[in-house]
Amino acid sequence: MEEGFLKEQQIMENDLNSDTSHKSSVDFLMNWFRKRSIFVLAYGTGCGAIEMPPTFTSRYDAERLGIRGAATPRQADVIIVSGYCSYKTLRRIIRTYEQMANPKYVLALGSCTVNGGMYWDSYNTIKKLEDYMPVDMYVNGCMPRPESILEGFIELQKEIAEGKASSWQKYEENYEFYRKNQEAVLGKTVAPAYDADWYLYDGGL
Amino acid sequence: MFKEIKNRFATDEIEVKRPDLAKINVTRFKIFELISFLTEQYDYKTLNAITCTDWIEEEHFALTYMLTTVDRKHTFMIQTMILRDNAHMESLTHAFKQAEIMERDLHEMYGIDFPGNDNLVELSLENWIHTPPLRREFDTLEFVNSHLTFREGRDDNVDVKVEMKRLRALKKAEKEAKAKEMKAKAAKSDKKEKIVKKENEDGK
Amino acid sequence: MIVFDLLGMFLSAYMVGFLYYGLYRNITARFQRRIGPTVLQSFYDSIKFFSKEESISHGWMFYLGPVIMATGAVMTLFFIPFFYKSESFSGLSQYGNLFVVLYLMMLGPLGNAMGVGVTGNPFAAMGITRGLTRLFAMELPFYIAVIALMSINHSADIATIAANQPTMNAIEYPLLFIAAMFSFVAMMGQSPFDVVGAPVEVYSGPAAEFSGKFLALLMSQSSIMSFAKLVLMVNLFIGGAEGFLELLGKTFVLFLFVIAFGAMYGRFKTPQSVDFLVKVPTAIAVVGLVLATLGGQ
Repeated sequence: MEEGFLKEQQIMENDLNSDTSHKSSVDFLMNWFRKRSIFVLAYGTGCGAIEMPPTFTSRYDAERLGIRGAATPRQADVIIVSGYCSYKTLRRIIRTYEQMANPKYVLALGSCTVNGGMYWDSYNTIKKLEDYMPVDMYVNGCMPRPESILEGFIELQKEIAEGKASSWQKYEENYEFYRKNQEAVLGKTVAPAYDADWYLYDGGL
Repeated sequence: MFKEIKNRFATDEIEVKRPDLAKINVTRFKIFELISFLTEQYDYKTLNAITCTDWIEEEHFALTYMLTTVDRKHTFMIQTMILRDNAHMESLTHAFKQAEIMERDLHEMYGIDFPGNDNLVELSLENWIHTPPLRREFDTLEFVNSHLTFREGRDDNVDVKVEMKRLRALKKAEKEAKAKEMKAKAAKSDKKEKIVKKENEDGK
Repeated sequence: MIVFDLLGMFLSAYMVGFLYYGLYRNITARFQRRIGPTVLQSFYDSIKFFSKEESISHGWMFYLGPVIMATGAVMTLFFIPFFYKSESFSGLSQYGNLFVVLYLMMLGPLGNAMGVGVTGNPFAAMGITRGLTRLFAMELPFYIAVIALMSINHSADIATIAANQPTMNAIEYPLLFIAAMFSFVAMMGQSPFDVVGAPVEVYSGPAAEFSGKFLALLMSQSSIMSFAKLVLMVNLFIGGAEGFLELLGKTFVLFLFVIAFGAMYGRFKTPQSVDFLVKVPTAIAVVGLVLATLGGQ
């Protein structure tokens, strides 16, 4: 693999993951269980969400790898950022990501998360997702087909088993860096208000 | 009908763009009168859209209201000019309910104020403090380059056109070298044949 | 010793319940022309949830909710005898009869309601109100069928009812069996009566705010409760069991029928399901009750 598509994937993955795990046998066992059952939050962020239903249903069955959908961020392990993130979406994604329980992983689909993709000259989307959220695995394409997404999940399982997928630790350790970037783009109030008043009193949905 | 409209309201000729589309230019003070005239007398009861074009060289916005008949057979485009600084226009929500969301869109993207419309919140740009983005003085590329950062390129990054030229030249040189070799071989074997033939003849 | 008895019942219910849930996902997948996960998938899920590092909590009542649910499930299991003829695996059934079991089955949803109400999540509250409404409707046919059985056998003891069956109560009193099966499908949380935990509508209703270890506890108690209900139905209607293999076989056949039913149907709305359950199965149960008591005398 000296040139082309696969080499680019390798180069990108090399600066993503840091080996910050402890290598004891209990950790090995726990990682083995974690890679066998992955709950993916059912949240379609951008136009890449069109490729998620085929991956999780009958034809390209993702359930044989132990992957199933979860309804709330409290029950989910993986959040899939599928496509471009406008400022409005980025606020909600950050709020959702912070609600998930550790250990949690981020899978970034598409070329818009890598370098802006098709919307590289748009005033309302962000160009490099890594400045705002830690990413575990990129899946290239616009949009990646279900076979590519499944390969992305298998690579993520390998990384979990080796203990290298530690993006939640990166987020906690470098929180000031991420927060500074988020505030530069989104203003001081990074996330919308966290109460149920909009549902109960302001007239509902 | 066109003659009556022209005489009462229009500032110049009514331009017929297609069999089902005609354009009228009016001043901003007569536009509501014209709209109610068309709605009541001639059955143009549907407001299709309110759009805006930015004429930055002549320093005005061109607002267009599109009215369609009930059986969708004919549409009028009614166009006015309003000044660019402190742009405002009276709201049409009292006559058409859908004008509320159209004016919201124009307020968000061009910065035009519509007094009378009490729901002018933004649709998709939250907490936007820079110039309204669809005005022509807003340079998208400059905004992106100053506010957002891209990923740095790889260190073996090459320009595609230059690289393709180089590869093509390489291939061509290879091909020529091969052809030359084949030719030399052929000439050699030819020469050999000639010598053998001569020897046979001499032998005979 | 009764402690080993109870421990045996608890462990077998835990293992068999999780295996049945793995089989449920596999069989539903085969209905949908795909291969599902492995049979041990529920074990992996619950161990993964136990190993989640932080779980968000909303106060002491939030802890008590799943604990009350688990208590209800385990106590229900202990009062149902597995084998009606033998002394082993009969748990505490000589100290309590069918009335106690029916009462303890209600403890779970109420504990859930209390635990969920303290979070303040409007979707969880919506799920809980739907659950309690559906509970009121689905109990009606089941109670009428059980009361019919109790009056035929002149006793409220599960072992006696199971022993008095000539062949099977399902064949002797078919109307009661049909009415009880409608309720049973709802009790196992299958379509068309599974509006409570709808994942996309109410963000999984009562389980909306639970994360990590709480969710593992919820999943465990759900599988134990399912097994307890299956054993109860086998004892009441399908002739009881005399060995572990026979018990497993009969519960598996019943479970398969319920899954197949659920895989075919869509989901009713709450007023639709309440409407249906109060009218049709209740009528069948009442007719069955009348026939059974008149015929018996």
